[in-house]
Amino acid sequence: MKKATLYLLVISLLLGSSLSVYAQQVNLTLWHIHTNEGAAQYTIQDAIRRFEADYPNVKIEEVQIINDEYKTKLMIAMGANDEPDIFMSWGGGPLETYINAGKVWDMTDALNNEGIYDNFLPVALDLGVVNGRVYGVPIVNMASALVWYRTDIFERFGLEVPTTYSELLDVMEVFNKNNITPFALANANKWTGSMYFMYLVDRVAGPEEFYNAMMRVNGGSFASEGFIKAGEYLQDLVRKGAFPRGFQSMDEDLAQSRNLLYTERAAMYLMGSWAYGTIKAENDSMLEHLDFFVFPGIDGGKGDPSNLVGTPGDNYFSIAQKSAHKEYAAKFLGYLSDDTAAQMLIDNGHIPPFGSNIGERISDPMMQKIYGAVSGSDTVQLWYDQSLPPELAQVHLDTTQALFGLEMTPEEAAKTMEEAAKRYHNEK
Amino acid sequence: MKKLEQLPWYRRENFVISLFLIPAAFFFVLYIVAPIPISFYYSLFRWDGIGQKIFIGFQNWSELMRDPVFFRALKNNFILVVVSIIVQLPFGIGLALLLNGGRWWTKPLKTIYVLPYLMSSVAIGMLWRYVYEPTFGLVNMFLEAIGKYHWIQDWLGDPKIVLYSVINAINWQFIPFYMILFMAAMTAIPEELYEAAKIDGASPWKSFWTITIPLLMPTITNAATLSLVGSLKYFDLIHVLSGGGPSHASELLATYMYKRSFHHFRMGYGSTIAVALFTIGVVVSSIFMRSARRKEYEGSAL
Repeated sequence: MKKATLYLLVISLLLGSSLSVYAQQVNLTLWHIHTNEGAAQYTIQDAIRRFEADYPNVKIEEVQIINDEYKTKLMIAMGANDEPDIFMSWGGGPLETYINAGKVWDMTDALNNEGIYDNFLPVALDLGVVNGRVYGVPIVNMASALVWYRTDIFERFGLEVPTTYSELLDVMEVFNKNNITPFALANANKWTGSMYFMYLVDRVAGPEEFYNAMMRVNGGSFASEGFIKAGEYLQDLVRKGAFPRGFQSMDEDLAQSRNLLYTERAAMYLMGSWAYGTIKAENDSMLEHLDFFVFPGIDGGKGDPSNLVGTPGDNYFSIAQKSAHKEYAAKFLGYLSDDTAAQMLIDNGHIPPFGSNIGERISDPMMQKIYGAVSGSDTVQLWYDQSLPPELAQVHLDTTQALFGLEMTPEEAAKTMEEAAKRYHNEK
Repeated sequence: MKKLEQLPWYRRENFVISLFLIPAAFFFVLYIVAPIPISFYYSLFRWDGIGQKIFIGFQNWSELMRDPVFFRALKNNFILVVVSIIVQLPFGIGLALLLNGGRWWTKPLKTIYVLPYLMSSVAIGMLWRYVYEPTFGLVNMFLEAIGKYHWIQDWLGDPKIVLYSVINAINWQFIPFYMILFMAAMTAIPEELYEAAKIDGASPWKSFWTITIPLLMPTITNAATLSLVGSLKYFDLIHVLSGGGPSHASELLATYMYKRSFHHFRMGYGSTIAVALFTIGVVVSSIFMRSARRKEYEGSAL
């Protein structure tokens, strides 16, 4: 009798414990694009480690997907109802597509309950907010496109940093005469060349030009004078030999652009401020010759020369509507945006879009300079390909690449873009 | 009398055969047959792949008929078909001839020449990407070293030559396959024929044209068909090497379909291209096979 009770007790204990473990074991999948070592990857992996230590029953499976393939993979996963619990986007247009398809969880209340809503800088959080509700939180970097340059090459030819567009053309001429490519550009990726176009549109016609065309307000059009003129400026740069041989087929992800910079074959490099961290990791001996300036203003143009093109948060992390463990995912986002994460980003050359007193916590002089440019600018134009819905973003990238290849006239490119926008918005 | 008794057996055998065929047939229907009408159905919609489908009738089709990129891709596909057949097959035959004998150097060469075919397309794409790199690439570095500066080209960036640069890599990938095919066919040609020709005083050149080529003809036809169909639906190396760019200069129907579907997220339009590609493929290859079979028949009658 006694033995039987004992057995029963042992069995029930065993069953009970295994059942409870089974019930609590939680698996979360996380997708992001940081395949290379660096600030973002370190920070994400560190947050996972700290989170898993505090919640031993939760296991986060981290999946890294290369940048150019990421959007496609995510879209296919969503189409098959197989999306990960936590995923990143770049906010703006693409995120809205996912939201409209009912794929993204409204995490406003969860963020408030967990007390992490106030972690984020409002200006950065904006891109993850639709109709006043939060669907994505900014994690990685306040990034802007800046003109990086080699100070030693500028000194060799006694050149000053150009402050106007015509000065920039003069500088280019000197480089071309001395067999140095003015700008290192790898344009197979298309978004790289898009940076030049975005700056030219802003400098020629001001930030409203794109806003009006995108939102279809105030008679805005992608075929407007401003876009055509920007296209003309762009093709003028190409004709003047601003870019390296073969730039249309070169791949930014393979560092083909930066290799020209490292080997002193190119002098300047228009790229997001993350380039500082990348160069630091790839070739830190170049840092002593590295500096940046903001894309110069065009004489007679409408855009303020301090306007920047970039993103206030870079990556926006969202939680899938179909995830079975949204509350854990939300708790994890707290770890991804706490002070430890912010410090880790700063230490590795990023400016976190969350946390307090960021400006004071940055000690690296170059990063202070970047922070100064970013916080001192009134207008930061979000990348076109992240503002626009994916279908139009792709048309923008394709037509811009065709402009670079001199295969379309600025008028044709502008017309193609406007027609696509009309078709998208069902306008006649 | 006995035959009648065996009839139920015969029936049962058929039944067993079809039973074993069910799994294969099921997946064939699921993944190959069914997607064709389904793709056509999707081509009538405006759809981003995750959101709502909006019925738009034949709008995608009328857009396709006015889409210059589609016709450019179609043209590129036909260039690829023609160049593949006139380069890969003769090179395959040539290499097979060269390596067919049993000399000491043929074995290692056979192994080396087969290597490209064993590599994955993605690896080949990356390899050629570095070969064609404009500044540090193998080709341009070599031309620079020998002082032929005016031969230096932007191999993958110049829209006028990118298609041929990529086709060159595709040829490199597939010539070994045809080499193996022809080597196998050549070993099947009886040695006596050559000996008889030699006795009759035929030169090696003569016996190549009058013995080898006629007897290889069925293999050549098959190889040409394979090459034709493969080129029409070709995708992978273009995708890795040039992505169809710059500005669609090396676009093929398959890469264009992929881009419209998975970069632009226009699943409806992507399906339209897919159905068009399928139709073109079926029509062209059935015309080709029919005329090739007639030739073969005439050939054997001779």
